[in-house]
Amino acid sequence: MTVVSSLFRELSFLLRQRAIAGLLVLALLLSSLSISTGLTEIAHQRAAIERMVLADKADRENAMAKAEDWGGAAYSSFHLTYLPPSDLAFAALGQRDLSPWKHRVNLLALEGQIHAADTANPELALAGRIDFAFIVSVLAPLLVILLLHDLRAGERAAGRHDLLIATAGRSGGLWPMRASALVATLAVCLLLPFWVGAALAGTQLAKVLAVSLLVCVHLLFWAAVSYWAGARAAAGSVILTGLVGFWLLLTAILPAITRVSIERAISIPAGGDIVLTQREVVNDAWDLPKNVTMEAFVARHPEWENEAQIDRPFEWKWYYAFQQVGDQSAETLSTSYRQGILERDRAASLAAFVSPPVLIDRTLQGLAGTDTRAALAYETTVRDFHARLRTWLYPKLFLEEPFDRAALSDLPAYQPLVVDE
Amino acid sequence: MGEFALSADRLSVKRGGLLALRDVSFEVRAGEVFALLGGNGAGKSTTLLSFLGLLKPEAGEARVLGQSAHDNVAAARKQIAYLPEAATLYPHLSAEENISYFLSLAGLRRDKSAINAALERVALQPAARAQRMERYSKGMRQKVAIALALLREAPILLLDEPTSGLDPIAIDDFNILIGDLARSGSTVLMVTHDVYGACQVASRIGLLRAGELVGVFDAPADGRIDTDAVHAAFAGRAAS
Repeated sequence: MTVVSSLFRELSFLLRQRAIAGLLVLALLLSSLSISTGLTEIAHQRAAIERMVLADKADRENAMAKAEDWGGAAYSSFHLTYLPPSDLAFAALGQRDLSPWKHRVNLLALEGQIHAADTANPELALAGRIDFAFIVSVLAPLLVILLLHDLRAGERAAGRHDLLIATAGRSGGLWPMRASALVATLAVCLLLPFWVGAALAGTQLAKVLAVSLLVCVHLLFWAAVSYWAGARAAAGSVILTGLVGFWLLLTAILPAITRVSIERAISIPAGGDIVLTQREVVNDAWDLPKNVTMEAFVARHPEWENEAQIDRPFEWKWYYAFQQVGDQSAETLSTSYRQGILERDRAASLAAFVSPPVLIDRTLQGLAGTDTRAALAYETTVRDFHARLRTWLYPKLFLEEPFDRAALSDLPAYQPLVVDE
Repeated sequence: MGEFALSADRLSVKRGGLLALRDVSFEVRAGEVFALLGGNGAGKSTTLLSFLGLLKPEAGEARVLGQSAHDNVAAARKQIAYLPEAATLYPHLSAEENISYFLSLAGLRRDKSAINAALERVALQPAARAQRMERYSKGMRQKVAIALALLREAPILLLDEPTSGLDPIAIDDFNILIGDLARSGSTVLMVTHDVYGACQVASRIGLLRAGELVGVFDAPADGRIDTDAVHAAFAGRAAS
């Protein structure tokens, strides 16, 4: 009898056991549900982006039609920025639940606009969304444990163990065959909905293969642990308790300890402090002598030194200068915020090696472009775009170019970051 | 093939840290029915498991057809059909399905008529054969396990309390069956508490006590082993 036919024999035998069939159906349902909700969420996000792109264009055109000078046009026109979801985002929503993936920015101080949503989605930050990555990284190990923990203990308890071994000839053959049949079927139950989802989302084949490989490797890790534990001559309940304890340690306790340790070791300023610092400087600027603001501005933009004299009570170039000085004042905090996030992310990457579930979750988010780095990369595109808008506007203000509504069509356009490449 | 179908050579085996068999030696010839008698914890099942290579000897050796059972596990098990005590098989399968599955584990395939013939031989009612075994009585389950052992067509049968749960008529039928198998060349090593049953069917009986073989009774050439003598030895020694 070949290995393949033995595998099929064990599979057809095992599937007739209600508990096993029930667990496998549960895996299929959970995976299908996560893929379905993931696809729905990403479809909503794509639809929202499509709607916003059109609305954003109409709103800006409307604002500009009413503008009478460069400063007013910049003041009243907003620009949509967004991070489009990748073709794999449906499987690992990751930071798209927590970090903003869309901002409408104007030419006022940027830091306040970026960090205003810093505390958004506290509920999701607590529980997370049940996406495919969650099913694979957190729940799949539990399913492996439930399927394999009493592979032998159950037979011992039922009095069949010795008969099975004596009949099968070699004890080394039967248990690996049963474990392989169960794990392979579980992998199919988990991956089948993903493959369908990937086909619907047009996911690149390389990513599909990478995710499939990751899922299989993760299942194999837990299968090896469960198989080893299941080989102990102990009652099934004792083995199950030990394995669930190990699962809890790796999926909840260690990640929680790691998270607290990292947060204590690497402190980052609060987003609210960045907003407050920037806004205080902007508000105070109204009461300060204008040359104080302009000196701080010129220190960053020496090319406008000769045009930095403010003679009238209100000039747009002074107004936008103190917006920029507001950003400059929050720059140190903002930089250490981003560096801190990156350092925490790097530390979490290293710590993930002691927790396979976290490692798998992070790797899936990395593949899907929904991780912290993708969120920071998106933020960088917003900063770059805002800088381009300022570069476009400043000559018009400082050189006092006559207002030309037609020239507004040359406004820089936001180019979204494409994470599928 | 060696001279004996089964042989224990100064066999000592530990279970749970305690010596369950101590320096036990005996042989079972091909075509012989050998019964091991003893009380609870005497080492009867340990002896069977040693021949299946499921327990590692502390000293000595259990041999199947002249080869060490422990060193040649697969070869030894291929020669043996094993009937465990109170075999439950799989309750969610029918008798036929259970037999087919276990036979396939051994790399064997028997058609439905052969399986039915074996079930007929152990007197399992036809109406019960397609039912799930969760509805079976202990005796019915035991009959299915015996049918499985027969269908293995192995030259050696190791039977652990084979008549446990069987009614008196079924026990008589079983004893006849064992006699037939021995006459057709099968070797049978059975362990039991049942002195009377052992004397009915065995050509030799070994008496185990606290892991030691304390006596062997041979059947006379023209009859059966004297039940009273075995019973006296069994009860007397157990009481001492």
